[in-house]
Amino acid sequence: MINIKFYKPTSVEEACELLTQPDHLAIAGGTDMIVKLRNGMFPGARALVDLSALPWRCISVEKERMIIGSGCTMSAVATHQAVREFFPALAKAASSVGAAQIRNAATLGGNIANASPAGDTIPALYSLEAAVMLVGPSGRRSIAIDEFFTGPGRTASKPGELIEGFSLPLRKTRGEFIKLGERRAHAISKINMALSVFNDGQVRYRIAIGSVAPTVLRCKTAEELLEKNSGKLTPEILAQAASLACETARPISDIRSSKSYRKQMAGVLLKRALLAVI
Amino acid sequence: METTVKAVFILNDKRVEAEVSSTMTVLELIRRNFRLTAAKEGCGKGECGACTILLNGEPVNSCLKLAASLHENDRVVTIEGLEKDAVMQAVQNAFVSEGAVQCGFCIPGMTMTSYHLLKNNVNPTPQQIKQALSGNICRCTGYRKIEAAVSKAAENRRLGK
Repeated sequence: MINIKFYKPTSVEEACELLTQPDHLAIAGGTDMIVKLRNGMFPGARALVDLSALPWRCISVEKERMIIGSGCTMSAVATHQAVREFFPALAKAASSVGAAQIRNAATLGGNIANASPAGDTIPALYSLEAAVMLVGPSGRRSIAIDEFFTGPGRTASKPGELIEGFSLPLRKTRGEFIKLGERRAHAISKINMALSVFNDGQVRYRIAIGSVAPTVLRCKTAEELLEKNSGKLTPEILAQAASLACETARPISDIRSSKSYRKQMAGVLLKRALLAVI
Repeated sequence: METTVKAVFILNDKRVEAEVSSTMTVLELIRRNFRLTAAKEGCGKGECGACTILLNGEPVNSCLKLAASLHENDRVVTIEGLEKDAVMQAVQNAFVSEGAVQCGFCIPGMTMTSYHLLKNNVNPTPQQIKQALSGNICRCTGYRKIEAAVSKAAENRRLGK
């Protein structure tokens, strides 16, 4: 880590400009980046670009959407009144990341940019049909969250592009987020799941499962089944939805869990989540 | 040679500045430059909480915070800055009276997190205590006595002891 420069840009343009250089790394809360830096994962890095001075720490409720700034900490997201009221799945996911010390530093933008298949807020944002708001040298664009991830640690953002926030359609949802880890607190998910339910004339179900594929997956087959049955949760429908979740999951075995356990738990978590929101 | 950056912030109520390397953590800075050695490096990756400090009133892992990223108005508080604080004294006394200290390495983090809990909650339930301390690991595994000490400190505060 010899001769790494440090920049703390105060304007978005300056930050994007700096980050067009491939050996410049963006750092926000630092809770993932510093561990990676220490582990020597960025041998060619020449500069750190600290995003903490950028104006991306607000949560604003507009007429048809809520904008959550990428620099909001997990604690800020988890405790925000409107987030809890409209998007309980996201509030729960944010409150389950790490422990308090991590949540007070880690940012929502960082969790998404990091693009871990196990990132806890990712399924929640999938279930809420969020859009990722990007800003870069060639301007601003939005991309649906389920098109943003291209693989583990990889995203569709271009050099110099930064996540400035997330746009979520403003509608009351009921929701749940569940994760399984080695212990109940402060653990990386072996598998996680978010469920959001809302009514746009018809009851809609949005189900997303994490840690069971290179990117988070929506479980549209189970969503359709539930919508077709107008949300009636008979034991048969629950069992069918659970088996559709198991079918959707295509996990691998790794240091945190096994393929067969994850596959089975996909169904169990969906049942638990559905029973929690009815 | 490393590039240095100037870090300016408020440390235990005093404005300070220091030349730091771009990758120096707040933990390294307070221990090496300011000789505030209560906060410890346990794991160095945000798992153990031995390095817990308060940043703008909230507990964070100082091993995962770059000194260069601190802002001018950021308030860093270490255990040393709370020596005369009645709540911290209640926490420390209860840790001693309840026998919550074994090897001692996790204790600065444990007491800092407990302090933050009691500042915000005068009567925490056992579950709230466990939850608050879930980012602090004690490898002597003395959790029961630590939890009892936090309860005791809260009780003593309520009784005005």
